[in-house]
Amino acid sequence: MLKHYVYKSDKLIHILLEHTTKTPKQDCTISSISITGDFFVYPEESLDTLEATLIGTKLDRYDIRQRVWQWLQGSQVFGFDIDSLTEAIMRCFHTGEDNHKI
Amino acid sequence: MKTVGIETPTLRLYGWSPSAVSIGYFQSVEQEVNSEICEKTGIDVVRRITGGGAVLHDFELTYSFITRKYPQNILESYILICDPIIRCLANLGFDEPRFVPLNDVLVDGKKVSGNAQTRKEGILLQHGTILLDVDIEKMFRVLKIPQQKIQDKLISDVKQRVRGLNRTFEQVSVALEQAFSTKFAANLVIDKITSQECVDAQMLIETKYGTHAWNWKR
Repeated sequence: MLKHYVYKSDKLIHILLEHTTKTPKQDCTISSISITGDFFVYPEESLDTLEATLIGTKLDRYDIRQRVWQWLQGSQVFGFDIDSLTEAIMRCFHTGEDNHKI
Repeated sequence: MKTVGIETPTLRLYGWSPSAVSIGYFQSVEQEVNSEICEKTGIDVVRRITGGGAVLHDFELTYSFITRKYPQNILESYILICDPIIRCLANLGFDEPRFVPLNDVLVDGKKVSGNAQTRKEGILLQHGTILLDVDIEKMFRVLKIPQQKIQDKLISDVKQRVRGLNRTFEQVSVALEQAFSTKFAANLVIDKITSQECVDAQMLIETKYGTHAWNWKR
């Protein structure tokens, strides 16, 4: 299921998320993610890098935050920060709506 | 931007006919735009190369400024290039126009200008709008409202936060040219788009900016 969530930081962040199913051996991980909104990222292409990096990441607040923190070492963002993006992804995971119903 | 092999910064001023919608580089057409309404009413939709929000380009002066000389700090560069807008508004008689980080200019607490910037291969492009008038209802017909917001409340709210200058394109363009000239201590040389630039622009429309792959990228 493709989940959608809109989070209000300084700017709006839309998250579209697909994830694996939790098993006895493995927690849920990101299988696809799209981060869109009216924010600014420099350089612009680096957001694609973040999305690619997040694939396979465990949907755990700490793991997500670490990935975002690593990405921010080489990028500048105006409109959200590490905590708001992490929160947006986690809320999408837990409470996101089925995108096909939107 | 690739034609800026010369060292001369370039200021371009233009309007829109017909109206058009541009979305920020990081936005999604599906999430931000009522595409069917745009298609029925002849409003083009395009993705910008800069971030920021969706904009209905209607009654406005749009500028773009390209330069090789700019502060590395992003906020400082926005402050630098928005300063001529501030000067322009002051010279047009508006009291205490002010810059609000990252990229807005306000008059009487209401937004009159939004700006966005990108940097590629050592060249900075900043472009933005100066609102001459605003049709809020039209804006809300063509742009999608996030589900968690109530449209009526938002329209009323936006009317309190956005305004047009109620000046002509010509008045604002003359004032803006003078402001850029003063700010950068530069003599403006009025020029036209070359035939080669027209050819290049048409090629970019056909191969990139007019394509579904670009505009529906996200």
